[in-house]
Amino acid sequence: MEEPSPSVCNLRILDSLSHDSVLAIVQSYNAFCSIVDSLLSGTEDHSVAAEFVPHVHVLCEHGLDSFVCERLFKSLEEAFEKNGALRFWRHFDAYSNVAVLQKSGTHADDELQQVLCAALDEISLVKNYHENCLSMLVDALHSYKEDLPEGRYNLDAERKRLLSRYQLMVSSTLMATLPRQFPEILHWYFKGRLEELSTLMEGEPNVEDGSQDKDDMDVDEKAKLAYKNSEMHVDESYLQGKLTQNNELVKNIGKVVRSLGSLGLTSMAEDAYASAIFLLLKDKVHDLAGDDYRASVLGSVKGWIQAVPLQFLHALLAYLGDNTSYDYPSPGLKSPLAYHPLSRCDGTNISSEGLVRWKLRLEYFAYETLQDLRIAKLFEIIVDYPDSSPAIEDLKQCLEYTGQHSKLVDSFISALRYRLLTAGASTNDILHQYVSTIKALRTIDPAGVFLEAVGEPIREYLRGRKDTIKCIVTMLTDGTGGNPNGSGIAGDSLLEELNRDEEGQENTGADDDFHTDERQAWINAACWEPDPVEADPLKGSRNQRKVDILGMIVGIIGSKDQLVNEYRVMLAEKLLNKTDYDIDSEIRTLELLKIHFGESSMQRCEIMLNDLIDSKRTNQNIKATIQQSRTGPEPQDSELSLDMLNATIISSNFWPQFQDETLNVPEPIDQLLSDYAKRFHEIKTPRKLLWKKNLGAVKLELQFEDRAMQLTVTPLHAAIIMQFQDQTSWTSKKLAAAVGIPVDVLNRRMNFWTSKGVLSETLGTNSGDHVFTLVESVIEGSRNGGNGRGREDLLIGDEEGEHSVASVEDQIRKEMTIYEKFIMGMLTNFSSMPLDRIHNTLKMFCVADPTYDKSLQQLQSFLSGLVSEEKLEMRDGMYALKK
Amino acid sequence: MKVKLLRILFLSLCLNCRWQAVATWTWDAQDETCGICRMAFDGCCPDCKFPGDDCPLIWGVCNHAFHLHCILKWVNSQTSQAHCPMCRREWQFKG
Repeated sequence: MEEPSPSVCNLRILDSLSHDSVLAIVQSYNAFCSIVDSLLSGTEDHSVAAEFVPHVHVLCEHGLDSFVCERLFKSLEEAFEKNGALRFWRHFDAYSNVAVLQKSGTHADDELQQVLCAALDEISLVKNYHENCLSMLVDALHSYKEDLPEGRYNLDAERKRLLSRYQLMVSSTLMATLPRQFPEILHWYFKGRLEELSTLMEGEPNVEDGSQDKDDMDVDEKAKLAYKNSEMHVDESYLQGKLTQNNELVKNIGKVVRSLGSLGLTSMAEDAYASAIFLLLKDKVHDLAGDDYRASVLGSVKGWIQAVPLQFLHALLAYLGDNTSYDYPSPGLKSPLAYHPLSRCDGTNISSEGLVRWKLRLEYFAYETLQDLRIAKLFEIIVDYPDSSPAIEDLKQCLEYTGQHSKLVDSFISALRYRLLTAGASTNDILHQYVSTIKALRTIDPAGVFLEAVGEPIREYLRGRKDTIKCIVTMLTDGTGGNPNGSGIAGDSLLEELNRDEEGQENTGADDDFHTDERQAWINAACWEPDPVEADPLKGSRNQRKVDILGMIVGIIGSKDQLVNEYRVMLAEKLLNKTDYDIDSEIRTLELLKIHFGESSMQRCEIMLNDLIDSKRTNQNIKATIQQSRTGPEPQDSELSLDMLNATIISSNFWPQFQDETLNVPEPIDQLLSDYAKRFHEIKTPRKLLWKKNLGAVKLELQFEDRAMQLTVTPLHAAIIMQFQDQTSWTSKKLAAAVGIPVDVLNRRMNFWTSKGVLSETLGTNSGDHVFTLVESVIEGSRNGGNGRGREDLLIGDEEGEHSVASVEDQIRKEMTIYEKFIMGMLTNFSSMPLDRIHNTLKMFCVADPTYDKSLQQLQSFLSGLVSEEKLEMRDGMYALKK
Repeated sequence: MKVKLLRILFLSLCLNCRWQAVATWTWDAQDETCGICRMAFDGCCPDCKFPGDDCPLIWGVCNHAFHLHCILKWVNSQTSQAHCPMCRREWQFKG
């Protein structure tokens, strides 16, 4: 029994104490202590309270009331530590490794639930008991103070003070002894309950209605239904049933939450169920979203939030709200937990604010989760864009909510860098992805700010590729041939995009092209609708937005001129290889391009097409003159007639430059040509024709004893094979002389015939001289790997370097040679210059004809050409003359 | 045998081939460009869009050639008798 040390502080009081009073104090104190100890050890029940009071009174008389409190708290703390906390935690010893146990399934789950409930019940009992003891003390103090005349004693305040002190002690004791795994256990518990609730809720609509017709509802509908339910709260009868069933569960959870709360573990409990809810929500989002981008999931996620976690929280908050209205259950009463009826209507009012907050939190979390999920997969989503537009739509809504556009930009750019902008990706694929990106991001962000950021790396990369322009033009023009409707296969061609611009909502059955414009005008007028009020005027109408795509593509190259130029080259190629005069699809393409690039830039292309139309007419006229002359007495001594010759007559000034190659066509053909030219001159004096013998196309049929081959070849190939009419075997030198081309060119071109199995190649007597022999029979032909037997082949210009029109690069190189002298002169004066200075100097001085209008890149490639020709050398970024 | 094969080949080539030849047309004039508009004869005058039939050349008796549209403009702009812009001889269309 220790000395009453606190009284040491009040030495004066100590002096005034008489021996009797000391004795009385010691006696009362000892009695008090023993009663407290026996109370707390649980051997005595509350009947000792009567004995307890006088002792307290005695001690209080001597001003030792605070001391009494201290003593009681000390005992309470010891007792709680021993009986409460230690025993409480011992329940969870078995769960030291939660992660392992979690895997063991529902059995462990149920067990945990029971253990947790039991443990909480037990500790609550201990706590209640202690609180009763405390209130006994308060009562005793109260009864003493009441006798005193002076000073009002506030019973409630004192009680509150002591109880909160006790509460603090309890929670600090628990916290101090908290086992590491407890939060996890709580988390696990809540997760299990929530999942239970979730399955219960989701199963509800069907089970309750008992009608099977709802089985085929999709998730959306179900979610909608659940949403509706939650909106209508409790007035539906079947909902009542569902809720009562859930109430049991929710009540249990609520009990656990409140028990934890009364132990001072409120925040831990909240953390646990919040994280459980979020985890569940996350799983749900992942589960719903998955890898399927063809359905919108946002609605069903929202519906689910309404249906499960919010219902749960609603019930929970309502349940807890009933109790938060009072402070703590009065110690003398039994816990109201079990008997308190759940009044939802009251609860609704109390918790509505909290519920709204929770709803916002949950929805934000759902948006964010879905957004992260979608952003991570944005690349794939965009790859199958038109199909995945629901996913894009979802993402758009998420982003509107979260505003984390920059995340999208960053993640998408890095995905692009990693997956698209690599050497392995073909330019076409990159372009298609670019177009899809534009389309997809335009939905998300109509202002185009982020699109700009995302598009820049792609554009930057594409600028570094040589075939970009070519690919763009191919994309633009392909898919038109014979299929102007742009359905099916042409789905990804850019022209379809252009087509849709022009046609608007016109049906794809555009066979009657003649009336397209008028019909279009009518249809447009009929279905015109004003833009919504909130539409961004900058965004423009549908039509303008389409132009935007093209604009962004042109933006890759920098200017439309290059694009038009490339298109011209490709168009020339296409036109020259036509064997009929059918240019309908080209006209259509050109018309579309004119809409976008303006008439003046497409002028030359228009002239080219016009040439074709003129040629057709002229050709017919010339044929007509033959017919007239046939009626005359002229004998038909030649086997060849002008019937077999058609000419494409072009206005050379407006066509791209052609590859100049001499070619000797066979004598009969040559005669035909000059005859044709003569007739042209007669009709069109004073105009005359200049043949480009190496250009054009020849359709010919090779007939052997047992097979026939139909081929469309270049004039050169035709000239070569015709040489074999007279002579079955040629050495390459002689053949080259006969055809009028260099030997190396000939050797390259001979590959065509040898690969067709028409000619065979053997080494000649002289080194470097090849002998070509006509393959006479099928057996020999097939031995040589000929596989073109009896089928029609269309093979024009598919071999390397066989284009009849000089490529754009070639043209630029040719144009650049003019500046070679300038550059040489410059470098003699300045010894060495960097690239940009050369560029600027040229720009400054070459203003007269021809004006220097090349880009820095073009100059660079030209200079590096000069370096490789050893005319210049380059050191540290400076060009200098080679000495 | 060989002869026969060659014969067949020859015939087939000549009778069955369709030759799509390519030619450029040009005005049979001495000069390259029109003395009035300085545009190429093979092109067209500044007012025209399409060369060739749409924008023909015309010769004067002095053998100077111009775009028809150019010389007409010139002739119409002259108050008195028009002269050839090149040689100052009296302008008359060559019949």
